[in-house]
Amino acid sequence: MPSAEDLKQRIEIAIPGAQAEVEDYTGGGDHFKATVTAAAFEGRSRIAQHRLVYDVFGAEIGGAIHALSLKTQSPQ
Amino acid sequence: MSSSEPSTIRDLPMSSNQTGPVGAAPSTGGEQNPIREAIEQAIGEHKVILFMKGTPEAPACGFSARTVAALQELDVPFAAVDILPDPRIRQELSVISDWPTIPQLFAHGELVGGCDIVIEMYESGELAGALQ
Repeated sequence: MPSAEDLKQRIEIAIPGAQAEVEDYTGGGDHFKATVTAAAFEGRSRIAQHRLVYDVFGAEIGGAIHALSLKTQSPQ
Repeated sequence: MSSSEPSTIRDLPMSSNQTGPVGAAPSTGGEQNPIREAIEQAIGEHKVILFMKGTPEAPACGFSARTVAALQELDVPFAAVDILPDPRIRQELSVISDWPTIPQLFAHGELVGGCDIVIEMYESGELAGALQ
């Protein structure tokens, strides 16, 4: 079962320069909320930004990771 | 028991306050993937369409419920498809949209986003314009 820390590390490794804050908001290891800040998001639509993060986890989204609520932003 | 033989689903489990229920994909004969075609047709036919868990009256998931609430708050007419009755609906939808989660909101044939994006756009005031 993935932990919030696992998700954070995987996002930060997969998206260069990304900073992620991940919260397991039910404590059950399957519902997560992530705020991801990355220069890679600049100039991309919200959908493209979220896809970059979803792509880190592939088929785990909807599987082991039941829900991953996302907020994405470029660095200020 | 699951069969690899695709049984044709002619009607998506759809409710709509915009038009009558859609008798989805008319059979054209020899089609490879009737569910995918029915989904694509529904997306093309409805200006605003939400794929969700449950129905607008009885959402079966908090994310779907929040998305419906935002649309209702804006008084936007929308069609809704319940993805729960057949797992293939979700599977085919995600192939079409390249988006892994439910709900998914489409407007003018394009994916607007999932719950997070819809709520963000609602809060920033962008959503109404995107759905016009």
